[in-house]
Amino acid sequence: MRSLKRLRPLVGGQPVRQEFDERLREEMEEHLALMTEEHERAGMNKEEARRQAILKLGPMEAIREEYQREVGGVFVQTLLQDMRYALRTLTKAPGFTAVVVLTLALGIGANAAIFSVVNAVLLQPLPYADPGRIVSVSQGRAKDGIPDDGISYPTFAELRDHNRVFSAAAGLAAHALTLTGRGEPADMSTVAVTQDFFSVLGVKPLLGRTLLPEDGRKGAAPVVVLSEALWRSRFGADGGILGQTITLDQQPYTVVGVMPASFRTPGLNQTVQDWIPLIQDPLFGSWLTREGHWMPVLARLRPGMSVEQASAELEIIGKNLTSKIPSDTGWVFGVQPLQEAIVGDVRTPLILLLCAVGLVLLIACSNIANLLLARATSRSKEIAVRVALGASKSRIARQLLTESAILGLLGGAAGLALAWAGVSAMSSLLPPALPKFHSIHVDGPVLIFALLLSLAASLIFGLAPVFLAARSDPQENLREGTRGGESKGPQRARNILAIAEVALAMVLLAGAGLLLRSFARLLRVSPGFATAHVVKANVSLPRFQYSKPEQWTAFANELMTRLRARPGMRDSAIVVPTPIVDGFINLSFTIAGNPPLAPGATQTADYVTASPRYFQVMGIPLLRGRLFSLDDSASTPMVAVISESFARQYFPNQDPLGRHIVFGFPPRGNVSREIVGVVADIHDVSLAKNAAPMMYVPFAQAPIWGGDVVVRSRLSTAEVADAIRAETGSIDKNLPVTEVESLPAGLHESVASQRFRTLLLGVFSGVALLLAAIGVYGVVSFSVSRRTREIGVRMALGATPANIRRVVIGESARLVLLGLATGIPAALILTHFLSALLFGIKATDPITFLGVALLLILVALVAAYLPARRAMRVDPIVALRCE
Amino acid sequence: MGNMGKQKADVPQGTLALMVLRTLDLLGPLHGYGIARRIEQISGNLLAVNQGTLYPLLLKLEQEGAIVSEWGASENNRRARFYRLTRSGRRQLLDETQEWQQTTEIIGKFFRAKAEDYS
Repeated sequence: MRSLKRLRPLVGGQPVRQEFDERLREEMEEHLALMTEEHERAGMNKEEARRQAILKLGPMEAIREEYQREVGGVFVQTLLQDMRYALRTLTKAPGFTAVVVLTLALGIGANAAIFSVVNAVLLQPLPYADPGRIVSVSQGRAKDGIPDDGISYPTFAELRDHNRVFSAAAGLAAHALTLTGRGEPADMSTVAVTQDFFSVLGVKPLLGRTLLPEDGRKGAAPVVVLSEALWRSRFGADGGILGQTITLDQQPYTVVGVMPASFRTPGLNQTVQDWIPLIQDPLFGSWLTREGHWMPVLARLRPGMSVEQASAELEIIGKNLTSKIPSDTGWVFGVQPLQEAIVGDVRTPLILLLCAVGLVLLIACSNIANLLLARATSRSKEIAVRVALGASKSRIARQLLTESAILGLLGGAAGLALAWAGVSAMSSLLPPALPKFHSIHVDGPVLIFALLLSLAASLIFGLAPVFLAARSDPQENLREGTRGGESKGPQRARNILAIAEVALAMVLLAGAGLLLRSFARLLRVSPGFATAHVVKANVSLPRFQYSKPEQWTAFANELMTRLRARPGMRDSAIVVPTPIVDGFINLSFTIAGNPPLAPGATQTADYVTASPRYFQVMGIPLLRGRLFSLDDSASTPMVAVISESFARQYFPNQDPLGRHIVFGFPPRGNVSREIVGVVADIHDVSLAKNAAPMMYVPFAQAPIWGGDVVVRSRLSTAEVADAIRAETGSIDKNLPVTEVESLPAGLHESVASQRFRTLLLGVFSGVALLLAAIGVYGVVSFSVSRRTREIGVRMALGATPANIRRVVIGESARLVLLGLATGIPAALILTHFLSALLFGIKATDPITFLGVALLLILVALVAAYLPARRAMRVDPIVALRCE
Repeated sequence: MGNMGKQKADVPQGTLALMVLRTLDLLGPLHGYGIARRIEQISGNLLAVNQGTLYPLLLKLEQEGAIVSEWGASENNRRARFYRLTRSGRRQLLDETQEWQQTTEIIGKFFRAKAEDYS
């Protein structure tokens, strides 16, 4: 019974508490009455007797608190009481509450949105078994600017069979194969893998099995593992799919398993539809004896082995390798945790964005702290009364912090809503390069992050008024409250906060300004070819049906003839690869007649095979010699066209025309060709990379089983695509046309990463600017309203409105200049970390810094204008009487 | 007030409960003010009872079951809450009295002790 009774106050809640409150009040009342009577009996008059009794009883508030502590669950009780009190105070000031919640929502929302990207991309472990043990193995030639490249199959085999650090290793290569015989022909995004691929990753199939060691042997029956998406869309999730045969590039493969939809192929962002053994691949299967750095390799560390041990072991293997594989001379193995290898390029921009939103939140917090300070000043009387009634300082602090925490949580909730909207808005902007192992959404970790952030933020902005309350003297405040004056402390605190806001905004704006200017420069870069009215589409020929190079040339010629015959198609060509949009092929070459290169040295250029009208379609001007013509065929002398920078770099002060260079796309790697022309440079890798030396060959002399059709036409992209589909289908109805894109769109997409970070940082710094402007406005405006009397006195003493305006605007100017004085050095230090992301400008670009500083000054002056106008209109008589 | 000049001590920590129980044991049911006054009287006005601790203590003792309270009429027919010792309260008083006597006895020994007795 007793214990139950004791529990009652804890669980009983409101009625119980009220009951106890009532009881205490009654008892105190009774106590006072009895004591007063006793005093009266001792001869005091009634009034004095009661006064003495009250004095003796001591502070009611303290007794109440002590009593409530005894009532039990005091923590929860106080908290509930504080929360009720806070909610009441906050609902009484809806404008204030709305501004704070909105400001905080912007800050928390931006943070939660970026964090959801960071969480999905950088923090979540890769969805493989024990992902920390999976490494990416590469070969690189640091001195030639090749940090990491693939590995040849012979080198891989050597590595796989003679190491003691990996429990398994696998290579992979991706391309599209044509699926026929099951509805419309379609390009299947296929990954050809060595047999241990799935065991390196440690993933289980949804159905059937993955690859077995025997699947990788020579002469094994071709097998395929399907993706769940393909299995569902093409095969209707048929449970009996295992053992059935599908046709890829006209070769039958037996389905042995289905991988779950969650499975991702490391390093590939596109959706993979099927996996086949490398040895069965129509292209890569024949590359197993080839040297060259074409195959990415993954490996799983043995238990107890570290990345460092693996590096050391590979160094030894690499040294012994050169005797067996001479082409590996000068190449060094690199080992990197898989996560790092995948995330590498996006880590810096993401962390940059996270820092940026952190700054935005800090500015938001300063703003709110400022508002709270202003409020605390006007509430100082209320607080003083409560202190006088016996509330302890810690009690007041708790109550103020509870209020801040409630604001924080409200802001956090609103921020999450913003983040949710932000993430869906952002998803269309996400650069294609972003690894997509985990979908980006507002989930558990993001919720926790936002909650912690809200509480941390409320602690940051909530402490300011608490310090103010702790320092203040209730008597002073009670008296001061009536006078409407204010000590220097709070005003200085508000000034410091406004200065900090300006400084933080300066840092953000400088960063955004740099990215923006750099992005603008990037967009101004001319790629060297005309993109307007050019559309590209990919056509790929199944190699089992079209096995001979003559067939490839014949197909290309036929398609070009038919396309040109259609109305509206100005010009068309076939090319591999399309610059920027489709990557590049870098091959080594030698110049006939030049002394042999030093061992280990290489000279490379980017290789393009193109049909005769290519240069006209792309608007690449001829500088010397001639372009390709229909007469250049497999039976005529081998020719090549080089780019201007090729000529400048390898034939300085010589005439390249008539010289021979030896190179070629494997397997025909050593073809000697006569240089017949020189064309202008183009950016073939990306807009940000300088034009590389290029060598072009006629498609007819170096045909390939497919490529990009490029068409110059006034028609719309869709119309051109339809034309290409129609003409391709009229030659062979089983040929899919894919990757249709206008070149302007392709170029647009090629700078998606830069656009993404520039846009986001721009938005965030815009928010920062707005918040800082509100902050400056708040401080100046508050100071004007506190100084109405002073302004009245000044005006009474003869100050003109212009004088007053100068004082007010001067105050704002002082805040901004002090903010800039701290912000500019900070920005100079911090933008240094941006250097790697900038194109064409330095991190200390004076124009950006000057522009941003001027912008801030301008905005601050505008922010001060409204309060200044108010100050000018102060009527001295009203101001002096307003006490 | 006759005792205004005298320096009053606060009730030593932890002993107020014992005093309350003993006062109720000695004088029967009393209201809060009465308890406070009686304690002060019994101490020869050497102690001042802090109301800030008395009422919470009464509540605590009641919740522990040592005392019960009920409404009654005070000397001047004012409604007041009267506190009464329960059986378990009496037992608690006995226990604590014993403990207290033991403690004072021990402390007393220390005061009576002379150095030569232990040389």
